[in-house]
Amino acid sequence: MSRFFIFLLVLIPFVAQLVALPLVDKIYPFVLGFPLFHFWLFIWMILTPVFTWGVYLIQKSKGELE
Amino acid sequence: MQGNLTALLLTTVIVLSVVLVGFIAGRNKASRSSVEEWSVGGRRLGSLFVWFLIGADVYTAYTFLGLTSTAFKGGSIAFFATPYVVLAYPLAYFFLPRIWKVAKVHNFMTLADYVKGRFDSKLLGVLFAINGVLMLIPYVDLQLSGIQDTLKVAGSGYINVTFVVSVSFLLVAFYTFFSGIKAPTYTAIIKDILVWIIMLFLVATLPMIHFGSWGNMMDAMVQKAPQMLTVPTGGPKGLIWFSTAALISALALFMWPHTATGTFSSRSAESLRKNAIVLPFYNIVLMLVTFLGITAYLVDPNGTDPRYAFLMLIHMSYGGVVQGLAYSTIALASLVPCSIMAIGASNLFANNIYRDMINPTVAPAKLTMVTRYMVFVVIGMALLFGLLFPTALVSLQLMGVSGIVQIFPAVVFSLYWRNLSKEATLIGFIAGMFTVFFVYATGKSFGMYEGFIGLVVNIVLMVALNPMFIKNAKMNEVTETLFGK
Repeated sequence: MSRFFIFLLVLIPFVAQLVALPLVDKIYPFVLGFPLFHFWLFIWMILTPVFTWGVYLIQKSKGELE
Repeated sequence: MQGNLTALLLTTVIVLSVVLVGFIAGRNKASRSSVEEWSVGGRRLGSLFVWFLIGADVYTAYTFLGLTSTAFKGGSIAFFATPYVVLAYPLAYFFLPRIWKVAKVHNFMTLADYVKGRFDSKLLGVLFAINGVLMLIPYVDLQLSGIQDTLKVAGSGYINVTFVVSVSFLLVAFYTFFSGIKAPTYTAIIKDILVWIIMLFLVATLPMIHFGSWGNMMDAMVQKAPQMLTVPTGGPKGLIWFSTAALISALALFMWPHTATGTFSSRSAESLRKNAIVLPFYNIVLMLVTFLGITAYLVDPNGTDPRYAFLMLIHMSYGGVVQGLAYSTIALASLVPCSIMAIGASNLFANNIYRDMINPTVAPAKLTMVTRYMVFVVIGMALLFGLLFPTALVSLQLMGVSGIVQIFPAVVFSLYWRNLSKEATLIGFIAGMFTVFFVYATGKSFGMYEGFIGLVVNIVLMVALNPMFIKNAKMNEVTETLFGK
């Protein structure tokens, strides 16, 4: 089960930043002073480390890290 | 155009101070006592140093000038660099600690050392070393042309740019020869502090100077250049190019000889993991600077050469002091990465070409000297090609990322896939390289990034052919470290 979560935590940032782009390749709405496209890229710059940190926490609680 | 004397003097002082730090970094004789000390700091560098060694690779002169120039020409397509530098790290989180551990146990200095040991194949080692050097020297030359352009804007009418560029590169070669990995580590800290302060200052003030505020600048972009704020859906530089270029560049980031050197200098696997979690944050400045390419499109005079787009914007907007600080930041972003790139390439030359092919019984002390002297060969070759045959380099520069990523399956898959055979790996690599050459030569990329097509061919062949050779896949010391007995 935890392996599946790790897989998702790695997969989602890739899907968001590579596959989902046609959905957000737009100027409007503006968010935080950025066009939607750039805001999307920006927010994933913040979220991706959070996802990887999640992987780290799962691995650590399972004692998989040396 | 006339340069600015204050800016030029300030740039000179800052660059020379950093060169001095490069020498001071190696004042302790131990830093050049062995290959392991000189190249990877005895594998003792703590998290913060690894942060600057690995993270600093992203902030080069080429990123500042190249990305802004791409944005100036093509708008938002340049933002492929944002997912690129973000997505490189979640994967690195998994494979860097693993390859670090094998390298530590078996005293590997390069990725070519690793594949040679993992597959018992000198041939693979040599091929990867040649590939690494062949792709890295043009990359060094991109940095060289970055500092050249900067000095042209800063010092036109005052200095002979070619002469000054040659002297700066030789100084970098000397301090790298002297201090080894300590030089890029310490100088990278100064460079990155300057990068953050100066680039954030530019991002904050340029919109105010020309438009009154960031919001007004965005309004102006929406009105005058809306096509630059999205990526075309189709065409040769559309969304498919954007995604494949981001993916391939992300996979390639840790395949470069110099990023491998940075990885191997780490003290622990844990420090690599922590760096891989947090480093995406570090690229916020990179994304903001890319916007300045579009700003330059609105502000620069008509007919500005795209490669000078960002420099021109700085030249037009500030007085001598800010110009000087900005130029020195870009100059350092050119020189500092060259130092670690030279170390990476020297190791490939010395270990995988000189020792493995020419003189297998070389004594450790001699190998250390050969590795250190190779810095002059690498930087000398970069200067020679960069200054004498700049046009010959263009194609290699375009291919750099596509070429270097072809070692990804051999390096990363082999860390997890016990029965991967050297034959299938070799065939995949060669087919991938040929595909990349072919796609560049014919221009038939179907809107995708060239390296992506090569990597697909590479992986498909490797997976399809491996069953034929699986009986040849033998265990050795390296596979025992990776998979147990």
